[in-house]
Amino acid sequence: MSDWMIELVDVTKRYGNIVANDHVTLRIRRGELMTLLGPSGCGKTTALRCITGQNIPDEGRVFIDGKDVTDVPTHRRELGMVFQNFALFPHMTVFENVEFPLMIRRMDKAERAGLVRDALKLVRLEGYEKHYPRQLSGGQQQRVGLARALVYRPKVLLLDEPLSNLDAKLREEMRFEIKDLQRRLGITAVYVTHDQEEALALSDRVAVMNKGCVQQVGTPAEIYDHPATKFVADFIGLSDFIPAKVLAVESERVILDVQGERIAVPPVASVHAGMDVLLFIRPNDVRLRAAEGQKLPNEIAGVIAKSTYLGDKFDYRVDVRGVEVRVQTHGAERFDNGQAVYLHLPYERCRVILESLVCPVR
Amino acid sequence: MKTLRQYLRALLNAKRLLAYTFLLCFFLWVTTPFLMILLKSLGRNWFGKLWLPPEFTLDWYKWAVTVTNIPEVLRNTLIIAGIAVGISTLIAIPTGWALGRRKIPGKEVIMSTILLPRMIPPIAYALGVAQIFYRLHLIDTHLGVAIAHVAICAPYAILVLASTFEGLDERVLEAASVCGANNLRTFFHVTLPLVMPGILSSIIFTFTTSYNEFTLTLMTYGPKTITLPVRTYLAVGEGYWEVTSALSMILIIPSLFVLFMIQRQVQPEKLVGGFKGV
Amino acid sequence: MTSFFKRRRYGLISLLMLLPGLASFFGLFFYPMLVTVVRSFRPEGLTEGWTLEHYAGFLGQASTRQVILLTFFLAIACTLLSIVLSVPLTLLLRQKLAGHRLFRLTILIPITVPGLVGALGLLLFYGSRGWLNLLLIQGLRVVQDPVKINYTLTGLVIFYVWHYFSYTAVTTLSTLEGLDPAFEEAARVAGASPWQVLRHVVLPLIMPGILAGSVLTFMAAFGAFSIPLITGGSYRPLAVQIYKQIEVYTPARWEAASAMAVVMALLQLVFLTFYMRVLRRPSAS
Repeated sequence: MSDWMIELVDVTKRYGNIVANDHVTLRIRRGELMTLLGPSGCGKTTALRCITGQNIPDEGRVFIDGKDVTDVPTHRRELGMVFQNFALFPHMTVFENVEFPLMIRRMDKAERAGLVRDALKLVRLEGYEKHYPRQLSGGQQQRVGLARALVYRPKVLLLDEPLSNLDAKLREEMRFEIKDLQRRLGITAVYVTHDQEEALALSDRVAVMNKGCVQQVGTPAEIYDHPATKFVADFIGLSDFIPAKVLAVESERVILDVQGERIAVPPVASVHAGMDVLLFIRPNDVRLRAAEGQKLPNEIAGVIAKSTYLGDKFDYRVDVRGVEVRVQTHGAERFDNGQAVYLHLPYERCRVILESLVCPVR
Repeated sequence: MKTLRQYLRALLNAKRLLAYTFLLCFFLWVTTPFLMILLKSLGRNWFGKLWLPPEFTLDWYKWAVTVTNIPEVLRNTLIIAGIAVGISTLIAIPTGWALGRRKIPGKEVIMSTILLPRMIPPIAYALGVAQIFYRLHLIDTHLGVAIAHVAICAPYAILVLASTFEGLDERVLEAASVCGANNLRTFFHVTLPLVMPGILSSIIFTFTTSYNEFTLTLMTYGPKTITLPVRTYLAVGEGYWEVTSALSMILIIPSLFVLFMIQRQVQPEKLVGGFKGV
Repeated sequence: MTSFFKRRRYGLISLLMLLPGLASFFGLFFYPMLVTVVRSFRPEGLTEGWTLEHYAGFLGQASTRQVILLTFFLAIACTLLSIVLSVPLTLLLRQKLAGHRLFRLTILIPITVPGLVGALGLLLFYGSRGWLNLLLIQGLRVVQDPVKINYTLTGLVIFYVWHYFSYTAVTTLSTLEGLDPAFEEAARVAGASPWQVLRHVVLPLIMPGILAGSVLTFMAAFGAFSIPLITGGSYRPLAVQIYKQIEVYTPARWEAASAMAVVMALLQLVFLTFYMRVLRRPSAS
């Protein structure tokens, strides 16, 4: 039995001139919740539909639980799916909606009723059997959707932006419910969203996609702390990119020339002296102090261009020799526009990004 | 694995073949009657077991012109249609404007009421129309027949113009008043040109409706006002299929034009609205 | 005070503008209808007095019961067959195969051309020397002698369907295309085969559209005039029967015709109300 529950191997899908999925390879472990994260048009929904079978890839294969299902039609893949707009059958009651997959499988009536009741209990909707979808709130409808997806114990649960149609508060609540459910049932899940907060909160692993390519696959911490490409760094959280040149590559660190200053950063593979790279750091990792006296190691000089008060923090745009660096501080110290400052880029928070890397995971 | 794929693809193709066969048969089922009319109108000695007429001729059309007096029949049809279109459009512009732009209580009810003459079979009220026209000496007059046509032409014209007026952007009219135009001038210089496409479309459909109109004409016509549909009907009674076919071909022309216009639109299905059969 | 007049003025102008349309409605429909109703109560040939003899006669005679039965039969058969034709047709058209725009346009042909022309073409095509019989005899060789379709009841039903299926097809198609694809996707992922998706999800959800369209078809078929006039032969549904009272009898039996017309108009109103009800039903969206 392979480790992987779902595998998309080198899947390519084109729509006319647009390549929706460009040699996408994704491997999802049993029992894990993998999120496909990216802006609209990045190909995450296309990839999801390759798993369900709604899309047939032009190239590549799809495996579920070790079996090649590329040619297997959707209705035989034994998956469960939850939709953004719920897709509950409006002409059926809650009970009939959840019962539907069992009815299709010609299960006998008593057995069906039992499973439906269990499923509704799982999503805490007992008592709503006779209601019609239009009588339920958004959150309740989505839970019916979950019940319908899980009632026949599929191996895989797919969720296509299931919380986008709910309001913010409900979204947070449902997030916990979904994660809790997934963990309790131990079911493998693929979650599609463009909301990075959701992705970081829910996932065991995240696959960040852009323009049909998988940019990076990793745990939420890996994605946040060690983004592989500029896109990933930029998409998750706030980011600063400062053009730099590699001066020296040492065993324990790399020395960069950042706007004339020597900055030491953690070691990174595949760079050599003379290369043009980007120094990447999060705005709230940068430390500011007034430009007095000598510069300390890993500091660069700049001038405050804009400052914005945001209540719990300050947002500064600092001009460093023509490059705008964004800094967010919670400190008591306040800086004014035009003030000269030193920006401290802590060694352990710096990363090196190669701008040229566009579609690294193939 | 490969063969399964090929097999599935072949199966898909078989379904596709079936689909195309069905659609083709449907297409033929609808259109072959017209083809037969066309050939019948152009053929000579087409009896017995032949797919196509052995000889082709324009005689039947000539016959139509000389014996059935097509020029005069056409003249009648066009005059009547012209009058009907004129009256209907004059009715439809103010009524459509009111329904499209004014707040009117029970607008929906009024709209449904106005459409009633197209929902009730014309024969029902044509009886009344005939009797009224007898008393008013409108039988067998172009004006009379045209007025009868207005009964079914006006509703559709009103419908089209109401929706055209409704679609007028408020802000354009506002801009006109800001520029100094009063209501009347705005209407003639801004509103009317903007609704012209709607008016034109309504004119075309109204014309075709009157041109094709049979039932009401049948109840209000006379020897001086024989229209093309009526003449064609009489020709059927006379038994000369070839001449009738020739007449039908002439009868069909505006409808073909309308179909041509429809197919240039994106969604032909949306236009069904007022096309109730004769 | 001035605002009272202003409001009045607004309404007055609206009314003034509505007047032509209302005048046309009252003058060319309502009043003639009224004349017909009044005439239906007059004794034959007289201009005064009231009687129910025409209604009694009409509804009492076996022959007129036949006429009503015939009219209903034709309308119902036409409607059912239109549904049978429209559903697979629209399901196929939805797939947008090559040339689908041509087929969509074809749906509109029967209601764009005058009924007379359609009737003539159908008579020619289904006649004993028409292409259908040629196909059956010479092409497929399934029969020896020509099959009689013209002027038969079956033929009349086919002609009706040809003329009136469009209303059903169009509303079914538009309902079908308005259906959210997510429903079918959900059903398929849940394990339903394409046939099961059709049966359990698609058809129930487009039923309102099918119903609305078929009521229109039914109404058109019930009130059919020029088609049965030319192709009905010995079969005379209601509209034709009304006309015959004027045309065939001398002196023309206006009163009897009027009574029939009133009955017909009332029935159509009943169907129309039913249609409006169907439209108001909460449909799936």
